[in-house]
Amino acid sequence: MSDTVKIYIDDKAYDVPAGMNLVDAAKMAGNDIPVFCYHPKMEPVGMCRMCLVEMGSIQKDRASGEVLLDDKGNPQIRWFPKLQTACTTNVSDGLVIRTNTPQVDQARENVVEFLLTSHPLDCPICDKGGECPLQNLTMEHGPGSSRMVYSDKLKLDKHVPLGDLIFLDEERCIQCARCIRFQDEIAGDDVLAFHERGRSLQIITNSDPGFDSYFSGNTADICPVGALTTADFRFGARPWELTEVPSICPHDAAGSNISLSMRLDRDHGGRAIIKRVMPRQNENVNEIWISDKTRFGHHFTRDEHSRLLCPLVRRGGNFNETEWKTALEYAANELQLAGGSVAAIAGSGMSNEDLWELRQLVTGLGGERLGAWPPTHAGADLVAQVGVGQGTNLGDLGKGDAVLIVASDLEEEVPIWRLRIKQAHDRGALVVVMNGRPTRMDDFASTVIHYDYSKAAGAFDLLQKEHGDTARQLTGAKNLVVIAGAEGVDLAGSRALMQAAANFLIESGHVGKPNNGLMATFPGANGMGQYYLGFTPEATQDIIANPPKVLFIAQADLLFDDPAAVSWLKQVETIIQLTLFAEEPVPGVTAALPIQSFAERDGSFVNGERRVQRFYTAQGPIGQALPAWQVLNRLGVQLGLGRSKLSASILMNEIAQSIPAFAGITYKALAHVEPQFPLVGGDDVYYGGTAYRNKGGLGVQIPAAADNGGAVTKGKVEKPAAIKASGGQLLVVPATRLYNRERVFRSSELVHPRVPDAYVAMNAADARKLGIENGDMVSISAGGSTLKVRAHVNGAAPQGAVILPRHLSDTPAPLAITAGEVSKA
Amino acid sequence: MSIHDKKYAERIAAQFAKYPTKRSAVMPLLYIAQEEYGWISPEAIQEVAELCNMDSTQVKSIAGFYTMYSEKPKGKYWLQVCTDLPCALRGADEFYEELKAYLEVEDGGTSRDGLFTVEHVMCLAACDKAPMLQCNFHFMENLDMDKMKAFIEEKRAEAKKHEE
Amino acid sequence: MHILLRAREIPDIHKYDVYVKNGGYKAFEKALKMKPEEVIDVVKASNLRGRGGAGFPAGVKWSFIPKNEPVKYVAVNADESETGTFKDREIMETNPHQLIEGALICAWAIQATAVYIYLRGEFWDVAHELDKRIAEAYKAGYIGENIQGTGWTCNVYTHLGAGAYICGEESALLNSLEGKLGQPRVRPPFPAQKGGGLYGEATVVNNVETLTNVPWIINNGADEFKKIGTENSAGTKIFCVSGHVQKPGNYELPMGVTLRELLYDYAGGPPEGRSFKGILPSGGSGPVIRVNDTTLDAPLSYEGMEKIGTILGSASVIVMDETVDMAWAASKIIKFFKHESCGKCAPCREGTYWLDKVLDRIMAGQGSLDDIKLIETVAKNMQGVTLCALGDFAANPVIHTVKQFPEDFAKHAKSPENSKSKKPAAKQKAAAGD
Repeated sequence: MSDTVKIYIDDKAYDVPAGMNLVDAAKMAGNDIPVFCYHPKMEPVGMCRMCLVEMGSIQKDRASGEVLLDDKGNPQIRWFPKLQTACTTNVSDGLVIRTNTPQVDQARENVVEFLLTSHPLDCPICDKGGECPLQNLTMEHGPGSSRMVYSDKLKLDKHVPLGDLIFLDEERCIQCARCIRFQDEIAGDDVLAFHERGRSLQIITNSDPGFDSYFSGNTADICPVGALTTADFRFGARPWELTEVPSICPHDAAGSNISLSMRLDRDHGGRAIIKRVMPRQNENVNEIWISDKTRFGHHFTRDEHSRLLCPLVRRGGNFNETEWKTALEYAANELQLAGGSVAAIAGSGMSNEDLWELRQLVTGLGGERLGAWPPTHAGADLVAQVGVGQGTNLGDLGKGDAVLIVASDLEEEVPIWRLRIKQAHDRGALVVVMNGRPTRMDDFASTVIHYDYSKAAGAFDLLQKEHGDTARQLTGAKNLVVIAGAEGVDLAGSRALMQAAANFLIESGHVGKPNNGLMATFPGANGMGQYYLGFTPEATQDIIANPPKVLFIAQADLLFDDPAAVSWLKQVETIIQLTLFAEEPVPGVTAALPIQSFAERDGSFVNGERRVQRFYTAQGPIGQALPAWQVLNRLGVQLGLGRSKLSASILMNEIAQSIPAFAGITYKALAHVEPQFPLVGGDDVYYGGTAYRNKGGLGVQIPAAADNGGAVTKGKVEKPAAIKASGGQLLVVPATRLYNRERVFRSSELVHPRVPDAYVAMNAADARKLGIENGDMVSISAGGSTLKVRAHVNGAAPQGAVILPRHLSDTPAPLAITAGEVSKA
Repeated sequence: MSIHDKKYAERIAAQFAKYPTKRSAVMPLLYIAQEEYGWISPEAIQEVAELCNMDSTQVKSIAGFYTMYSEKPKGKYWLQVCTDLPCALRGADEFYEELKAYLEVEDGGTSRDGLFTVEHVMCLAACDKAPMLQCNFHFMENLDMDKMKAFIEEKRAEAKKHEE
Repeated sequence: MHILLRAREIPDIHKYDVYVKNGGYKAFEKALKMKPEEVIDVVKASNLRGRGGAGFPAGVKWSFIPKNEPVKYVAVNADESETGTFKDREIMETNPHQLIEGALICAWAIQATAVYIYLRGEFWDVAHELDKRIAEAYKAGYIGENIQGTGWTCNVYTHLGAGAYICGEESALLNSLEGKLGQPRVRPPFPAQKGGGLYGEATVVNNVETLTNVPWIINNGADEFKKIGTENSAGTKIFCVSGHVQKPGNYELPMGVTLRELLYDYAGGPPEGRSFKGILPSGGSGPVIRVNDTTLDAPLSYEGMEKIGTILGSASVIVMDETVDMAWAASKIIKFFKHESCGKCAPCREGTYWLDKVLDRIMAGQGSLDDIKLIETVAKNMQGVTLCALGDFAANPVIHTVKQFPEDFAKHAKSPENSKSKKPAAKQKAAAGD
């Protein structure tokens, strides 16, 4: 948008980007042309007719290009005979509009009057009241009184569940189709549509389950009336009672910017709790969208039944509740007794500040090994080398660009990335998906390559040898982003795959610049933070192989993630566990210390694009829980290892001084905001409730080593021996499901109906051989555990492999691909 | 019952051959499904959705938009009487009232014998031959109640004979 | 003379053999020997205007189609759904090959790859007969691959709608063909532009009657065509006469014939002992006229109808005699538009619903004089602001009927005293404020 054109709004001239939508251009010029159906993220449809303006163009002499003047020396303007919709107009030089004439005023009033004829009078009990575009625009432009006889109004169903999460009030709907268009254009799940026609037009869904999409909540945000409400928030609070606290989604590598809408709540002892989670605009990260897991997965923060409320220590065989002072003294004492053989395993939900303090403590005690949990994805070091360049915005990818997704079920792992790459595909980007099985991403791919899982680590060899044309398209693309997961590979395989990906990018010159480079679907919110703070999955492997005497397990659910954990943990003498949840503690644990969730404290995460982003304290602590960094700091002080630290921001300053990647990063820098386009949220009258303007910071992207001309070299790909199944075994491939029974998600009861019962997907040929039919209970023995799950024989698995989603049953699935026995239970 | 039945294979293939996209065949396939099920049943929607590679919501949407797809079960004979202005000027309203009375049904209702569903519809492009109706999409024109009674009784007799 | 309804003279012309014996497909063969742009020039020169209602010059429309696009389409609008229109059906039933030939000439002129004939769903039987006629033309080598050795390939298909007036609007028709909801699209891009037509490809959308004229024009030349009709309205037109006349039906007559000639000389005049009161010369969607000597003597042409405050449209002439309550007629038409509004844009969706409610009240004797004013303003608020022309169409019957026949509305209104007793309702209105 480098070219600008001159347009005239109400007789004033403005320079605006050429070809920009007129509504957006006018908004940039400070003129809010009212809209209901138009949304800057979607194609204009001209449905509501609210944006009618007088429109004309300055006449130029065809031959000379000179502006033609009238008798008085003013430019001649050719006006359209009728009002025109601004939303369906792109600006061009010499465009003239009038937005303040009686004719325009009248047209706006008429449209509002038409919309109100069928709209109910329930603003006082409507969730949207207070941030409702219809309410706002009625105040601004509507008629003072109604000419519609009340009894003529349509009486319709006010509680239509569109699935479990979103409810439709048919009376309030003004048929703008924003929700339908969002699902089609943005989410790619076209499970909403209009039914009937004329005034009988209504939103329906016919999917099974209803409104089957991971992005459904966004439709309630962009609904310009209170027609769509979420099961989480409806009747929950009034918008003006809420305090918005900027935060970051704790669930995945996207690091979606969110706003926690807080209110004091009677049912929670008068404490401030999260009433809803809203998107917070960050055009480089999640734009104005969030997944339903981000939106509806917050309940664990306030769930006193599942959270650990006070420290526990083991005395003899018993586990006792105790005070912090006692617990810390006890833990310190045990640590001292255990001697210097100390290590830590930290989960990917730990903030940078937590990880920093944990590192200080472990190294202070003479330990070296800092393990990242879960140890499934290798290659964070490579993302630090050749990750996507500074300034990357997936929203810029389009024609001429390419995205390769390998070994990942992206929709289940990082749904917002799936949403954004779907749109890149719509804009013309080449999207190639490589995996051992079909995934949802295939629907938005230009090319899909399926490989044998036993060869997953060598996917790039396969790409170059057997799909040369596709490989050339990728390497020849203007910009290329590779997104790698770790499905179907073990840690060594993951490393080989990541190295091959890095080499592929380096070889074709797609590193060190924006919109080029490597991303990975690290689990949790802070996979990259783990790496930068020195926590690696390789160290975890080493810890498992050679257990230390003392082990810190911080915010990591080893037993639920890994069937092998039970046995090797027995060899550890002293375990100090930092945990959110009061689950059955790890066997042999010495002390279990309650820590705060992301909502109770401040901190920062590094997302998969290496963007350091800050989250703020939103609610008070649950029980006696403390921020993990504070627990660790106090333990350190107790051990005489350092001074007491007062705030997370001080820790960030320490990190910035010690870890080069964080050089210059401060909380202030992370809180910096700049104007973003489109202009949504905030003070205007018509995107109210759409998303929140970002007031908490856009974050700072750590440069990749390849950025700023940094030299990077290819590395050796050390392909591990292929994992093969023999003698009647099948490959058991653990996979990720977005909705699962992980502890951070279990408290979100409203999503429970969407969490699948534990199952395994298997191929029809394999099932036939084993005498298994669709729906049978089967037993899977692999990786040291035996699970009983239901068989889905539905084409979702290739022959010779079964797909076993993790975290659906209480018995853990294997951590990585392995051979196993499958039989009818 | 299914439009996956072999007897429809050729017709369905012919429809897909007409268009560059599968989605374009949704309307012709809905007609075939309606023929099979007698109405646009949930099964019909699922089957058409699968064949056209569409979400079933979109198929239901199409079925709901157009009046010639019935989302409710109906009688063997679907009588759609034009009562639009030109027909009404030639007695269509009176004709329709008499027809409903004769069949003892309301607008949109089905006769007790389950044979006839009647409803009024908008202009059918036969204004010069009013009163008229379409019966299962075939036009019957220049009607009066004598002709209709004869038709109804003939169909009733046929049905009875078929039962025996 | 008949250019279109030739079956009136040659009864079996719907049969392929008979059609060919009477010069059928000669125009197409002639066109195939011309350059495509020469064909467009002839049609342009003939001043053939679109017979679907809007009257846009067909040749000009064809000339908008970009030359270098590999895929282009012709969509034949056979959705004939305007209240009172039944001409395209007769053409397709009695002279189908001439339509096919006309569509093929158009396809050649724009180098289209396929022709889709979109018939309203109710033309179920018509479509199935038309399929047989298309098969005959295919067999004769006029459709398919390498037509007549030109190297040009074009197929012709029928597509049945399923009951939606709005699909007669060209962009809604294209949506419907694509398997989407039959709702109009935002224009530009127009169907003739890349991105605006069928499947995003440049597309000519022409009415059945328009295209059926084309073979005659190619055979006889543009000048001969212009000799028929008036200066601005060349050729013949099929007038669909319905309602209160002795002989309703289609009459193909030169443009410019007067209403009086059409209604008295051809359609046999009003029913015995009655007189004409109002006429809708362009079906339910155009302005109504009050019958008097001026209106009766107005020539039926695009310009002639404009002069008396109405439009020629698709020339579906609905005739109402003195027994008709024009308020009732208006309410009938509003019911049509309320039923047919696609619902996409607010003024039409809400306006037709509202008008219907108030008209029901008026017709039930519960309306006031204010209600008559109300329907007038509501209708006016729908005018000129909707996404497609249907909003204007739906406003016309109210605005013009109230204007032309105020007495018919006034007689339904409650007396002023009665109106006063309606005060509680007025209070409710205030409550319905916002």
